Amino acid sequence: MSLDNLRDLYQQVILERYKKPRYRGKTDPVDRYQKGHNPSCGDTIELTVHLNEAGDRIEDVRFEGEGCAIAMASADLMAEAMRGRSVEEALGMIQRFQNMMQGKDEFPHEFRKLNVMQGVSQFPVRIKCATLTWHTLRAALEAATPQPAGFVSNE
Amino acid sequence: MAFTTAKPLAHLVRADFPILQQQINGKPLVYLDNAATSQKPTAVLEALRSYYELDNANVHRGVHTLSSRATDAYEGARDKVAAFVNAASRQEIIYTRNASEAINLVAYAWGMNTLQAGDEIILTVMEHHSNLIPWQFVAQRTGAVLKFVELTETEEFDFEQYLSLLSDKTKLVSVVHVSNTLGCINPVKEITAAAHRYGARVLIDACQSAPHIPLDVQDIDCDWLVASGHKMCAPTGIGFLYGKLALLRAMPPFLGGGEMIADVFLDQATYADLPHKFEAGTPAIAEAIGLGAAIDYLSAIGMDKIANYEHELTAYLFERLAEIPEVRIYGPRPKADGSGRAALASFTAGDVHPHDLSTILDQAGVAIRAGHHCTQPLHRYLKVQSTARASLYFYNTREEIDVFIQALKEAVEFFGTLFG
Ligand SMILES: Cc1ncc(COP(=O)(O)O)c(C=O)c1O
Repeated sequence: MSLDNLRDLYQQVILERYKKPRYRGKTDPVDRYQKGHNPSCGDTIELTVHLNEAGDRIEDVRFEGEGCAIAMASADLMAEAMRGRSVEEALGMIQRFQNMMQGKDEFPHEFRKLNVMQGVSQFPVRIKCATLTWHTLRAALEAATPQPAGFVSNE
Repeated sequence: MAFTTAKPLAHLVRADFPILQQQINGKPLVYLDNAATSQKPTAVLEALRSYYELDNANVHRGVHTLSSRATDAYEGARDKVAAFVNAASRQEIIYTRNASEAINLVAYAWGMNTLQAGDEIILTVMEHHSNLIPWQFVAQRTGAVLKFVELTETEEFDFEQYLSLLSDKTKLVSVVHVSNTLGCINPVKEITAAAHRYGARVLIDACQSAPHIPLDVQDIDCDWLVASGHKMCAPTGIGFLYGKLALLRAMPPFLGGGEMIADVFLDQATYADLPHKFEAGTPAIAEAIGLGAAIDYLSAIGMDKIANYEHELTAYLFERLAEIPEVRIYGPRPKADGSGRAALASFTAGDVHPHDLSTILDQAGVAIRAGHHCTQPLHRYLKVQSTARASLYFYNTREEIDVFIQALKEAVEFFGTLFG
């Protein structure tokens, strides 16, 4: 087996976050709640977001759900990177992450941990796994109400 | 494991499948996703090519030579399907795009027009979405009620519970013959007999049986049976519905258009006789002819022989999977000779998510399915979010199972060591 290829995809950080996520759970309070779903594989993610009083800065993001190592690590790393970001900054990062999945961009030094997800771009069928949580966060941040109906589908 | 001393079937047929002679990620392709779709032998590819090169014309619409040749080939393939499932008449075979369309045909033409509020439809928790959603539509529209057969301890069809669901309210029993996830073989003959005692109709989803074991609709005595060509060496875009003649006669048409008519006026029409009543518009002619060629190919090998060889593979697959303690297989165990279930295994492998597993195996050239295999309610019932599935066909070899097991072991180890 070409383990080298796989080591690019499954970097140590990704496997560690899959096994021992740091941001699993629910925020308190829940200012935004959004469910995401990948219908082709059944992966689900439930994001909760705690915003500041003005509603323009992320205090905390937590996730629950079940999925593969790529999906779960992506959620955990995202939650970590989002703490303390303005909503505007966060939306920019979501776009940058998507660009990175196309192999077109990467994160600056401050967010370099997110760059471990770059290997996914070499596995096109797995990009959906990595982006589900980011799509879900975008929907949560763009929602006008704390608990929008329906879920984000990653198809 | 007593393998016959003669050459295993796979070694005799392998060269018939050009797609199998390639490398994936630098490794010989090991195709173990046959429950999703099968590969196609040269004989079928040649039938398509020769049809388009020599005979292509619309069917039933011309008096010229090509049209007559195309019609003969298209209708000749129907005879082959009828013989393959032992239908009493060729008029009982309706071409559809796939099994899903065949089930929808029955749901709309029969279910929507026949069922009433309070009538009961019995399905199972193991149904493919294709044999669930159309009946949800029918239930929503007519007020009929869906009931579900659950599983025994060994994760098979619970016949006793099934009997307890049957009543005079039961109007339809629609069940899968061989589960695409559990691999269990449901006792369709007994299921049908029990349903008929209450006057209920029976539909059998034969998607995972038609490619692998001999089928006899008269012996089963089911009212309808559906299958998809693409899982049995035929092209995509062609499947069939078998239905008992009297029942098909009594059903109104499904789709309207050319081909399905007898006499048309501006405000009304009469319809063609069976089977054309249910085949509106220009059909998938080449694909139907391809299905005929696939049936010729399978019949030349012999469905008994295919089934027996797959038993050997099943026994070996389960024996090798048992070497990996992390592996949990869903569905019944095979008997010692490998019979008693389908040649597939849906499983989980400890901490390794099926999706990750599939990516890792793909690096070793091994193609398996990961996900819910269009049986989401079954996965929910089994309390597992998704599974990996290796599904075999008669062109797979013992050596390929070895490659799969080796890659699976490495994958489990790869995740295991990194987790410490
Ligand atoms: C048991 C079963 N039923 C129904 C189907 C649906 O077949 P198709 O998608 O060809 O209509 C499949 C295959 O996916 C199947 O395995």
